[in-house]
Amino acid sequence: MSNDNVKERVKKVISEVLKMNIDEIGDDANFIFDLGADSAQSLELIAGFEEEFDIEMDEDKALEIQSVSDAADFISTYL
Amino acid sequence: MSPKSHLREHMEKIFYPESVAVVGATKVPGTVPHDIIHNILKADFQGIVYPVSPKEKFIAGAKCYKYIVDIDDPIDLAIIVFPSSVADMALEQCGNKGVKSVIIISAGFREVGGKGIEKEQKILEIADKYDINFIGPNCLGVINTDPKSMLNASFARKMPEEGTIGFLSQSGALCTAVLDYAQAKHIGFSKFISFGNKADINEIDLLRYLKDDPKTKVILMYLEEVSKGRELMDVAREIIKDTGKPILAIKSGRTDEGASAAASHTGSLAGSDLVTDAAFKQAGIIRCNNIEEMFNKAIAMAYQPMPKSNNIAIITNAGGPGVLTTDAAIHEGLELAKFSDQTTAVFKKYLPKTANIKNPVDVIGDARADRYKVALSQALKDVNVDGAFVILTPQSMTDIDTIATEIVNVAEQYDKPLYASFMGEADVASGIDILQRNKIPHYSLPESMCKSFATAYKFENHKLNEIDRTELYNDVDKESARKIIDDAIKKGKKILPENEADRVLETYGIPVPERKLVTSAEEAAKVAVDIGFPVVLKIMSEDITHKFDVKGVVIDLHTEKETKDAYESIMHHVTKFRPDAKIDGILVEKMVPKGQEVILGIKRDPAFGPFIMYGLGGIFVEVFKDVSFRVAPIDKNVASEIIEETKSSKMLHGTRGIEPADVDALQNTLIRLGQLAVDCPQIKELDINPLIVLEKGKGCFVADANIML
Repeated sequence: MSNDNVKERVKKVISEVLKMNIDEIGDDANFIFDLGADSAQSLELIAGFEEEFDIEMDEDKALEIQSVSDAADFISTYL
Repeated sequence: MSPKSHLREHMEKIFYPESVAVVGATKVPGTVPHDIIHNILKADFQGIVYPVSPKEKFIAGAKCYKYIVDIDDPIDLAIIVFPSSVADMALEQCGNKGVKSVIIISAGFREVGGKGIEKEQKILEIADKYDINFIGPNCLGVINTDPKSMLNASFARKMPEEGTIGFLSQSGALCTAVLDYAQAKHIGFSKFISFGNKADINEIDLLRYLKDDPKTKVILMYLEEVSKGRELMDVAREIIKDTGKPILAIKSGRTDEGASAAASHTGSLAGSDLVTDAAFKQAGIIRCNNIEEMFNKAIAMAYQPMPKSNNIAIITNAGGPGVLTTDAAIHEGLELAKFSDQTTAVFKKYLPKTANIKNPVDVIGDARADRYKVALSQALKDVNVDGAFVILTPQSMTDIDTIATEIVNVAEQYDKPLYASFMGEADVASGIDILQRNKIPHYSLPESMCKSFATAYKFENHKLNEIDRTELYNDVDKESARKIIDDAIKKGKKILPENEADRVLETYGIPVPERKLVTSAEEAAKVAVDIGFPVVLKIMSEDITHKFDVKGVVIDLHTEKETKDAYESIMHHVTKFRPDAKIDGILVEKMVPKGQEVILGIKRDPAFGPFIMYGLGGIFVEVFKDVSFRVAPIDKNVASEIIEETKSSKMLHGTRGIEPADVDALQNTLIRLGQLAVDCPQIKELDINPLIVLEKGKGCFVADANIML
C-alpha cells in the first residue's frame, strides 16, 4: 500500500473522529495544535487507526504520533 | 534560561495586561482551558480576551482565532493551556506574534521526568529566542485583584477578595485550598501567583516584583524546594530593609520522606531542612509550619499597625480565658502593661466594683458593648499599652455583634494593634464575621493570638538581618590556607592530614595547640621540653586515618622519658599493625587543658552554600543532637545566637560546679570558621571535635580537626 493511500485513510479516520471536513486536514497538521483534538479524541484516533488498518499498535508509541504524516509513517511499519 | 533583561516590563504585562489570549481554549466544561477563559470573563477583567482554538468559532460569546498569529491586535499576555506535547508550538507562535509575557498552565514537563525535562528545555530555548518571560509550566495561574486589572488567569474556583497579601506558591493545588480557606475568613489578596516548575520566572523574581507592588503589604510563600538559597536570602533582606514588608513562608519537606515527595512533585531536589530553617531566620523570613499558622500571623501584620513594644492589655468578660491568654502571652515573651493612674481611675469609675481593673481587665460576664468600649478605648489610650487583646465568651446577655462593631470602631481610632478572640463557634459566628470583614485579626484560640502578636513584635523590632561585615577578621591569611589545600588536592588527597588541617585553621586565627612534627625519640623529648609538658604524641601518616586503632596516639606525657618511651611505643605498634603505611613522623603537641567540649563544623548545602554547625561536644552530641546551624559568614550577633540556641549553652555560662567558659573566644572562633567556609570552597566538610573552651578569659583550643576536600 502506498504512503499516499495510507495518508488518505488516516485523514478519513481523523475527519470522522474530529468531525471535520477531510479537505481541512493538511499532511503536516498537528492533531492537537492544528485540528483541536482533545485527550479523549487522541485516544479515539488511535482506536480508529487500528480499526481502519486492522492492526494493533504499541500504545505508548502511538500516543506520540502528532500529525497525519507521522501517523502514516508509523502505520506503514505495521502493514 | 531565557533572558531577564526586560523581566520587569514583561511581569507588569502578566499582572496588568490590556489584552489576553488564551491559547488552546475549548468549550468543554470541566476542563482547564474552559475554566480559565470563564474565570477571566467572570472576574470583570479590564482588558480584552481573545480565545485561540483550532476548532471553535466562538467561546462564551467571544470570537475564536485558530492561531494567535491570526489576531490583528497586539497581545500583552498569552496563557497557554494546550497539553505539553504542543506547548512548544504554541510558544513559538507567541514569539512570532511578538508576545513577551506568557503563563504556561500545562503540566507534563520537568515534574514528570524523562521527556518532560526535554520539553521544558525546549520551551526555555524558545523563550530565549523571542525574549519571552513566562510563569510555569505546571501551575494554576495568576490572579490580580487590583480593580485596575481584575485578572483571574487561573483555574481556581473563585476570585479572592481584594487585600494586601501577596501569595506565591510552588504548588497549584495548595493555592485552591488557600483560596477556599481565605474566602471563609474574608482574607483578601493583592496578587495570587502559582509558579509551578518556575522554569523561567521564579520565586526570587516574583518577590522582587511584590517588593515594589504598592498593593502588597505582606508576602506569603509556599515553597517545595529552594534552588538559589543565597539569592533568596539577599532578596528577602532587601525587601525587609527597603520596604518593611514581612515575608512568611512554608517550606515543605521538613522530613526526609516529605523532601522526597517534594522532589517527585516538582522535579526538584529539596535541601537540608535545618539549613533552610537557619537561612530563613538569618534573612528575616518568618517560617511557618502550616497554612493556618501562616495566615494567623499574616493577618496580624496585614490588618493592624505593627506593635511598638510587647506591652499589651487584655480585656475579657471571663476570668478563665483571661488567665489562659495571660499564660499564653507570657509564654510568647509578651508583657502585661501596667496601666497609668488615669486609666485605673477611668476603670474604677466606669466598670462595676466586681470587675478586675488590673491587667487582664475583666469586665465581668454581663458586660455589654458599652463596657467593652470604655475598657478598650481607655486601654489603647494609655501610653503604657502598645496593643490590646479582646476576649469574649458568649453569655446570655452578651450582645456579640454590637461588641464586634464597637471593637471595629475603637480600632479605627488608635494606631495600635488590636486583636480579638471570640471563643466558641455557633453563637459567636456572626460577631467573628463582623471582625473579619473589618480587618480585625480574629483567633479561635488565645494562644494563636499571642503567638501572632509576638511574631509581629519580633519582626518589627529585629528587621535588620544583615551581616555586620565590619566584625569579620582582616588578619586571616586566605592565600596561605588556599595554598595548603590546593597542594593537597594536587596530590590527590581527599582528607587533609591533621598537621596540615591545623595549619589551615591557624591561618584563620583559630587556636590550635603548639606542636611540631619529629622523626626521632630524642627530638620528640626536646620538642616536648620546648613547648612545655604535658604533651600528646600522634602518628602522622596519610595511610592511617584511625590513629587510635593502631595505638598511634599517647596522651598526657609529663617527662622527657615518658615522651621518648611513647615515641618508641607508637613506632612499634604502628609498624606492627600497618607495616605498609608510609610514616611522615610523630606529632608532638601541647596537651590542651580540660575545659568544656563543643563541636564546630563546616558543611555545604546545594542551595545555601557553606554553613556552620555548632553543638555540644563529647559523647552527648549523638544522644541529644543539641546542634544549631547558620549560613556563613556570620557576625558576632549570629555567633551568639548559634550558641544560645542550643540547650547546652547554659553550661557555657556556668552552672553548679562548672566555671563560666570563654564564650567570647568561642564566638570569635565561629566567626573565623565562617570566613574560612566562604573563602575556601575546596573544603567540602570540616569538623572540629572537640574544641576545648577554657574558663572565661583563657581562650579555646582545637583538640582535633578533620578537613575533607
